Amino acid sequence: MSWETIDRTTVAEEKLGPGLSAAAREKIRTFFPRYPSKRAAMLPALHIAQDEIGYCSLRAMRDIAELLEVPPSAVMDVVTFYTQFWTHPRGKKVITVCRSLSCELMGGKEVLAALKEKLGIDEHQTTPDGKYSLVTEECLASCDHGPCMQINEKTHKCVRVEDLDRILSDPDNDKISMPRSDIFDAPQKT
Amino acid sequence: MPKIIIDGKEVECRAGISVLQAALDAGWNIPHYCYHPGLKVVASCRLCLMEMKMPHPQTREPGWAPKLFPACQTPVRKGMEVRFDSDKVRENQKHVMEYYLLDHPLDCPVCDKAGECHLQDYSEQFGNATSRMVEDKHKNPKKDIGSHTLMYSDRCVLCTRCIRFCDEIAGTGELRKVNRGSRNEIDIFPGEPLENELQGNVVDLCPVGSLISKDFQYKQRVWMLNTARSVSPADSRGSTIWIDYNKQGVHRIRSRYNPQVNEWWISDEARFGWKYINSDKRLNTARIRRGVSWEAVGWEELPGILRDRFASADENATAAVLSPMMSCEEAWLLAKFIRQVAPRATLVRGYVPIEGEDKTFPKGFVIKAEKCPNRGGVEQIIAHFGGNSMDFDEFVKAAGAGRFKAAYVVGGYPKEWITEAHARAISKIEILVAHDLFPSLLDQHVAVQIPTASFAEREGSFVNCDGLLQPFERAISPLEGVKADGQFFHELAGEPGLFRAEKFRVSVAGELEMFAKVHVPPDEPKYAH
Ligand code: SF4
Ligand code: FES
Ligand code: FES
Repeated sequence: MSWETIDRTTVAEEKLGPGLSAAAREKIRTFFPRYPSKRAAMLPALHIAQDEIGYCSLRAMRDIAELLEVPPSAVMDVVTFYTQFWTHPRGKKVITVCRSLSCELMGGKEVLAALKEKLGIDEHQTTPDGKYSLVTEECLASCDHGPCMQINEKTHKCVRVEDLDRILSDPDNDKISMPRSDIFDAPQKT
Repeated sequence: MPKIIIDGKEVECRAGISVLQAALDAGWNIPHYCYHPGLKVVASCRLCLMEMKMPHPQTREPGWAPKLFPACQTPVRKGMEVRFDSDKVRENQKHVMEYYLLDHPLDCPVCDKAGECHLQDYSEQFGNATSRMVEDKHKNPKKDIGSHTLMYSDRCVLCTRCIRFCDEIAGTGELRKVNRGSRNEIDIFPGEPLENELQGNVVDLCPVGSLISKDFQYKQRVWMLNTARSVSPADSRGSTIWIDYNKQGVHRIRSRYNPQVNEWWISDEARFGWKYINSDKRLNTARIRRGVSWEAVGWEELPGILRDRFASADENATAAVLSPMMSCEEAWLLAKFIRQVAPRATLVRGYVPIEGEDKTFPKGFVIKAEKCPNRGGVEQIIAHFGGNSMDFDEFVKAAGAGRFKAAYVVGGYPKEWITEAHARAISKIEILVAHDLFPSLLDQHVAVQIPTASFAEREGSFVNCDGLLQPFERAISPLEGVKADGQFFHELAGEPGLFRAEKFRVSVAGELEMFAKVHVPPDEPKYAH
């Protein structure tokens, strides 16, 4: 396909997406004292960006690069390495279905197929109402309860196709009962 | 100087280098992609793996360790014993090469790197002729990543040399790896192009055809090219270069290894800024003014004509402007000529173009603001000849005041250099001889106009900003109608026979010491890249 050329040297304004708010920048700065270098705050910064914007927009990556004093390409390097970071808008809730061995043996494929049908979307797509995005991932670390899927951060275990309607209609299907670690949310000031 | 044993042979090597470097220095052909002596070691390509002798953990009996070690990351140690000539090593090379070719498009017929590609070479020398890959290959469109550079992701072997270059040498970090696994590729941040002033080096560095120079793309197959050892005239740094040329002219300039000066790199200015040598504006006839018109003269007649003209002028009012674009040999010969015909003639250090300020990159690479290659040489020659001398500004002032009646002015700059004020002052000189590359504001005032040859068409030597005298070879013959300056000045100064820069340097070495201290950088080891 090398007869086609994509121009990477310019980028359309609308492709840049939203940037970081002043509050988000401030929050990122509070992470600096924890690490020996600013660039080490890359992952928390990206999480903050993704929490605020919903994904890691190009503009947010540029903002982070400026804050962390690294070239923007270095931020893009990290974003594209982790599948947890999104580079385009996603639905309110992201359903991640396990496609690894144990789950697949226990019927993961059927669960995925049923989900696709119920939501009317394919992998890496978002429902028109913006409610759900669907992806698959390697092992979700609950192999003993396959098939598994996650809705945002909540893991649903031993999912059967007939459970799906109930799970999807539950407004709290992404709420985790366990509180999130305060290491992430409340950085200590030094 | 530690001694180590490679494949049973004792090899003496510099301390502190890697086994890979030691082996390459000693002439071994060890496949390697990620290792580059000018960049940090990452040991990621796994091609240079070797076997190493180690003491057995229990018996302390030395023997070949069961695992392979990256030679690029293993420093030499006195008495160590390694081997590349073993089945285990060859097996590894074969497997790694097979991996590299899994997704490779094999588009060598349309790839500019073909012929100097280390994927081609290593596949032939260390790989397999056939691939067991039956799945589809990844195919990517090529990417436009900078003003001089294209990126073909599907050809890339992910050695990360280009990334490390931009990080370490240029200090700009435009390039990165994106995505992961089999989708890993080199990319820039959208809208943040590769625009450092050293970007051309990533094309030289890339061991495969992944980074391609827009300038050279589809111009020539590399096996149709000859190459000459030259020195870049772009600035006073004196970066050594290869000029790749053939019968159709110059096609490409690459950096030539020079540990004392530019190491492995050159600036884009040196790499791409030579196009003026093909300009159709270049002067290409020696001619004499006859009233309002010009009359072409043959090169054989010129020395006689010039001698007569200068002899007729007052020797105190005679000057020669030695341009810092001239080689040392040419400057010497012209100074010699002018002092023959007018022993009290003034020697002028020609115009020194300065653009901005010196630019220093993180690891010490410098782009000089002084855009001429040989100020140092010209100054030493003027000092050697002694007598009256001045610099260009003083000359212009003196000429404006009517101090000179005859002058030989040499230019040779790629850009316009005579300002109106210069022309006004210099026009006061009655017998004005201009030896230049391009038409200039002086033209209407000159008595004799002589075209000069470009750096690629001459041989000689330049003295760089650090005082190193570095010789350069001729790549192509001069433009039709132009005579190589060295030969012309040779005849002008009444020297017999053909001008050969090297012979000439030897002959004057006794008179001016600088000609005896020629700096010729060592070649890189044959299999290093
Ligand atoms: S583009 Fe060339 S230099 Fe850069 S990582 Fe790929 S193969 Fe190496
Ligand atoms: S295989 Fe599905 S959670 Fe491990
Ligand atoms: S691993 Fe040694 S050269 Fe790449």
